[in-house]
Amino acid sequence: MMTQPLVSVRDLKKHFTMGGPLFAPKPVLRAVDGVDLDIRRGETLGLVGESGCGKSTLARTLIRLYEPTTGSMVFDGQDVAHLSERDLVPFRRRVQMIFQDPYASLNGRMTVRDLIAEPLEIARIGTPESRTAKVHELLARVGLHADHANRFAHEFSGGQRQRIGIARAIALEPDLVICDEPISALDVSVQAQVVNMLEDLQDQLGLTYLFITHDLSMVRHISDRIGVMYLGKIVELASNTDLYARPSHPYTQALLASIPVPDPTATRPADPVRGEIPSAMAVPSGCRFRTRCPMATELCASSEPALRDIGGGHLAACHYAGEAAP
Amino acid sequence: MTAATMGTPILSVRDLATSFFSQRGEVQAVRGVSFDVHPGEILGIVGESGSGKSITCMSVLRLLKATGRIKSGSALFDGQDLLALDEADLRDIRGNKIGMIFQDPMTSLNPTLTVGEQVIETILRHRQATRSEARARAIELFELVRIPSAAARLKSYPHEFSGGMRQRVMIAIALACDPKLLIADEPTTALDVTIQRQILGLLRDLQARLGMAVILITHDLGVIAEVTDRIVVMYGGLVMETGPVRDLFARPMHPYTRGLLASVPDLRDDSHKRLTPIPGSPPDMAHPPAGCPFTARCPHAMRQCAAALPPLFGDSHAARCWLHHAEAPRIAGINEVAA
Repeated sequence: MMTQPLVSVRDLKKHFTMGGPLFAPKPVLRAVDGVDLDIRRGETLGLVGESGCGKSTLARTLIRLYEPTTGSMVFDGQDVAHLSERDLVPFRRRVQMIFQDPYASLNGRMTVRDLIAEPLEIARIGTPESRTAKVHELLARVGLHADHANRFAHEFSGGQRQRIGIARAIALEPDLVICDEPISALDVSVQAQVVNMLEDLQDQLGLTYLFITHDLSMVRHISDRIGVMYLGKIVELASNTDLYARPSHPYTQALLASIPVPDPTATRPADPVRGEIPSAMAVPSGCRFRTRCPMATELCASSEPALRDIGGGHLAACHYAGEAAP
Repeated sequence: MTAATMGTPILSVRDLATSFFSQRGEVQAVRGVSFDVHPGEILGIVGESGSGKSITCMSVLRLLKATGRIKSGSALFDGQDLLALDEADLRDIRGNKIGMIFQDPMTSLNPTLTVGEQVIETILRHRQATRSEARARAIELFELVRIPSAAARLKSYPHEFSGGMRQRVMIAIALACDPKLLIADEPTTALDVTIQRQILGLLRDLQARLGMAVILITHDLGVIAEVTDRIVVMYGGLVMETGPVRDLFARPMHPYTRGLLASVPDLRDDSHKRLTPIPGSPPDMAHPPAGCPFTARCPHAMRQCAAALPPLFGDSHAARCWLHHAEAPRIAGINEVAA
């Protein structure tokens, strides 16, 4: 893969300074704490991790809802990490987001037509008539009817609202769509409808997806490559096949072993990981997973493992990844 | 274990119907639900939002919101009809003989009291005990649910616990009075997958150790497969299928159950093949269809399905589907076992 990636992130950090006692050093929450990540054109990159791992903060930083604390974020050749709002306008058209909660993310007082046309209006594209025609085209693309345009979002089911959110996200024909838990709020029988549609739209429009989820079954289905995040860092990144066949970071191994499998005859390991994710205000020294890791050594407490290639582009941040199991 | 060898059920729900009333009219959330829970078993109730699975259990506990009303039915628990008891007798049973755990432990715990106070309060309400005996029991319960440094953590407030630890506190409270039945409504839905695994393991372990019966309500087929013995599948306020967990996953009898199982990706299959969704969306329970509520989304729907509600066909494994009528057309995989 010699072509330049669409997005190239290096040592990206987003820290939040929290309130604390007067005259005392304020605690710092290291939500995103040194992420290196390439997103290739036309791929679906899955990003998984538990709550508090920083995946949503990373997404919000990538679309520049947050300005990064440090690090670089190159989008199609341009570093957008510290651009001003004014200089961000062209970037904002090319990167869109689909949110988790289709009930909260759509303004209930706007018609579907106005919701979907709004990005076009803000970007001053077309006339009111041409925008309405575009809305009808977009509705057809997401499997809704033109006569839905004059109704309000609250008249629709969760799955239909998510379709409206998707139509809005693709209205400006973006290059990158960040999907932040886009199916988590939907019923199982409807999730598959939305995932199939996202895959169709990707084929038709050449979209690149960053797909953030905690659903480890769905992410395998939809992604080309998957990154695993823990406490603000990517700890493993590989093709979907490779990650599930050869999980090489002990955290990934624990995550995959924890998936509830819809098969009563499957054998299940006992608690694959102990304890809970530490606070991002008190990140452990060395390897950040060592406090829960069943194979941690003294080296893990003193030295932080780098994210390195353990073969065939499979990246893992563990001192012992790629070695035979002890 | 078959139904015949399980003896007297600890809970027997018959023909339960519950509706909600608002200016828009009546929403028929539960429309005649019957099931049994036997001592020592884990019964899973699975369904999507609006299927009536939570309302069924809230009705049995008589914890409905003000707009809800139980229209008919009975719920025999330990020889008493919970739906006919007066409020004082019911309070004696809830939190005592029947323990409860809900999805969001933060809203079920009192944020202004230490968790220790809340456990001790529950014990003192239902048991003859001194404060120090109740405190000793609270420490024992915290150790039982594997909260580290139990005695010290009694003095903590709910907000000082993580989501997983709060759910452990809720389980400790639910078990405080040795319940015969534990009702757990989506107990791991708000938790991360590694924590979910810990809590499910804990629940299974406690159930085996204490011998209580458990009703586990969830939308997650993986969770169901992992911990339950028997399943009730709900849709449109009705029981659509019921049976032992292995039977039901191996040979789902209802097209809805088959559709649900087919719409989740198979973890063992890494071909990017398209998912098989169930088309459409669930029925509006303000205007439930006359016949089978799944008719509009069913690939095998016949004229009869829209006209009349089918009964449950079968015995220990049964489905509410006309395809199981003796004279229905044969469909491979549903009412005809592949040769």
